[in-house]
Amino acid sequence: MTATAPTGPTGRQTPPAAPAPSITPVVVRLKLSLLRNGLRQSGGRRAAYLTSAVLALLFALSQLLGLIVLRGHAHIASVAVPGGALLALGWAVMPLFFPSGDETLDPTRLVMLPLRPQPLVRALLAASLVGVGPLFTVLLLAGCVIAVAHGAVAWTVAVVAVPLALLVCVALARAVAAANIQLLTSRRGRDLAVLSGLVVAVGAQLVNFGMQRLGTAGLAQLDPAADVLRWVPPATAVGAVDSASRGDHAAAAAQLALTAAALAALLGVWARSLTRLMTSPDASTVQSPDAAARERSGGGLARLVPPGRTGTVMERSLRYIWRDPKTKAAWMTSLAIGLIVPVFNALQGTGSPYFACFAAGMLGIQMYNQFGQDTSAFWMVALTISTPRDAYVELRGRALALLTVTLPYATLVTVLTTALLGGWARLPQVLGLSFGLLGAMLATGAWMSARFPYSIPQEGYKNVVPGQAGLAWIAVFDGMLSAALLCSPVIALTIWSHVSASGGDWSWVLLPVGALYGAGLTVLGLRLAAPRTAARLPEILTAVSKG
Amino acid sequence: MVSTSAVRIQGLWKRFGQQIAVAGIDLELPAGKFIGLVGPNGAGKTTTLSMVTGLLRPDQGTVEIAGHDVWRDPVAVKARIGVLPEGLRLFERLTGRELLAYSGRLRGLPGDEVDRRAAQLLDVLDLAGAQHKLVVDYSTGMRKKIGLAAALLHNPEVLFLDEPFEGVDPVSAQTIRGVLERYTASGATVVFSSHVMELVESLCDWVAVMAAGRIRAQGPLAEVRGDAATLQEAFLALVGAQGRAAGSDLDWLGGGAR
Repeated sequence: MTATAPTGPTGRQTPPAAPAPSITPVVVRLKLSLLRNGLRQSGGRRAAYLTSAVLALLFALSQLLGLIVLRGHAHIASVAVPGGALLALGWAVMPLFFPSGDETLDPTRLVMLPLRPQPLVRALLAASLVGVGPLFTVLLLAGCVIAVAHGAVAWTVAVVAVPLALLVCVALARAVAAANIQLLTSRRGRDLAVLSGLVVAVGAQLVNFGMQRLGTAGLAQLDPAADVLRWVPPATAVGAVDSASRGDHAAAAAQLALTAAALAALLGVWARSLTRLMTSPDASTVQSPDAAARERSGGGLARLVPPGRTGTVMERSLRYIWRDPKTKAAWMTSLAIGLIVPVFNALQGTGSPYFACFAAGMLGIQMYNQFGQDTSAFWMVALTISTPRDAYVELRGRALALLTVTLPYATLVTVLTTALLGGWARLPQVLGLSFGLLGAMLATGAWMSARFPYSIPQEGYKNVVPGQAGLAWIAVFDGMLSAALLCSPVIALTIWSHVSASGGDWSWVLLPVGALYGAGLTVLGLRLAAPRTAARLPEILTAVSKG
Repeated sequence: MVSTSAVRIQGLWKRFGQQIAVAGIDLELPAGKFIGLVGPNGAGKTTTLSMVTGLLRPDQGTVEIAGHDVWRDPVAVKARIGVLPEGLRLFERLTGRELLAYSGRLRGLPGDEVDRRAAQLLDVLDLAGAQHKLVVDYSTGMRKKIGLAAALLHNPEVLFLDEPFEGVDPVSAQTIRGVLERYTASGATVVFSSHVMELVESLCDWVAVMAAGRIRAQGPLAEVRGDAATLQEAFLALVGAQGRAAGSDLDWLGGGAR
């Protein structure tokens, strides 16, 4: 370009500097449009959104009323203060689970626009205040504050505390979302994100058992927690109102200041990660050589598996349990829940050794939707299956890979549960039942894999692609029902050993009978599934390629 | 080889709901040639290749590869073909080397032979340095190359490649090209799809032009090109997309002023 007029450093003529209009209203309008367009997509989505919004608001209102009614209760501050902390926790966790729930949450979409961080942070913060979530939060915060506010000073503090606490919640969600996106731009980060769903699943089980134990204790139980939380923002905002009500004005001022400082710190962190996100390149494919070498674990696996297709298939399946985040998450969940349910119940003294069959059942589920676990890479398998025999060897390899983990694990869980309950006499029959169930699960799993394959999305926490949920239900539910039916002879035999007079002496027979029956069922299931698989290769590929 | 046609397609149809993806294709592809299947996006190239390789069941029609029916004689067909599909994953949580080892052994080749061939292929395709990296961390070009290696491992008679050069850098493209040229020189057949005319023109000696689910022209390159200066021009004339010049009212575009 040969321009005579003075040009900018890029060679383009720079227009006269005009005061840039604020982008806050633009971003708020963008948020409203996204919300509206999202609802316009389908009637079902609109109904779901409205229903959940109404339910959330009704819940918030009922909590608000409940907190107002409890006003004056001796331990109410011990509910209100952790309430504030719980809200913040919700806001911090939410963007991790619904990263696509709010598109304005994703600053990388704005990366091409010439925006400075400060106005952008202001605008995005304002946009975050639009929606059902903030309204829900305001209602609950108001409830918490009303429950503890007594006296003019406390009410004045409350007027500052509620918006401050709301802003902390929203800024927290934004800061976490920005950090999360940074994490999600690397492959390892994405792998970790898939696994975090597992932490929640197992955590929920643990919380469930914890709640059962704490169920009988009263509100006073929460006092120590509240004493700590009243100094943790944004629960400090509720704490400030409570302190003001008690006449401790210095503490109230300190708690308010702490809340404001937390807000400033969060905004700072957020602005910094925002700038980094929008200016630094994606480093997801850069990998150090030693990291690459570390990935190459399980080199000795090849020596341990049988030769031929069986070993090849087993090796790949076993590698995938460890390396594929989706498969790993499913396995870890099955392993954890298969252990937690029988063992925790045994620890509480409420269990029975038969609960140990849970491990076999949970792990047997991994045989379901085998080809869905391959995703569209199934084409590589499909191109090498020409006869029902090929399909049989393929399915058998997968079943054997599963058994190398499942068989010792189910045995271990059974022995552990029995040991905890001290019912050694019942060990053989429980083991027999476990093996029988495992065989039935493998058999039905193989058949369902061939008959009802469905796609597993590779990103996020869902295990079924939208539109295939019905299919997945048929596969898992019918499969498990059939597995239970197939197991009924072993179950009947177990019951007989209990009710018949001489049955007790013969109960050890259930171990070989169950094991043989399970093995027989597996072979039968694989034999029946193989021709179906071989005949339906293109249909299976289409079904599993939607992820 | 006695049979002169590597692939024979008769009356091939595929419909997805309302949309007809492939509307009755008859095609005879000669053996030992470098064959290009060209057409705009959405012409039905991928659908056709999927049906030809047995990955998608056609609604109607027959496909024969080296004289064997794809659907009635899969044993004979699957051993003879190599496939590099577009838009389907690989087993990406394996390293490049493991993927080749897996794919070769799945095809029933002896383990030592698979490892020997894999090492050579990785070398020739410039992947030796990345052989212990997971395929999920590969770039597009590297993925195409490892996919090509997996497709060549069992030395197929006919190789089907769906958009093998899409998103591939020039260096990798040249490597892929070299390997394919050596492969066809030995008498094997390569069928590949592309929407880049220059590429097809420089590589192929036989082309089939596809648009809207139908074959518009097929034959040796010179024959299809006819009097047109380039294949691009001949193609635009065939699919009737000529004379749609870029808008003349974009007069503000360029020139520096805002």
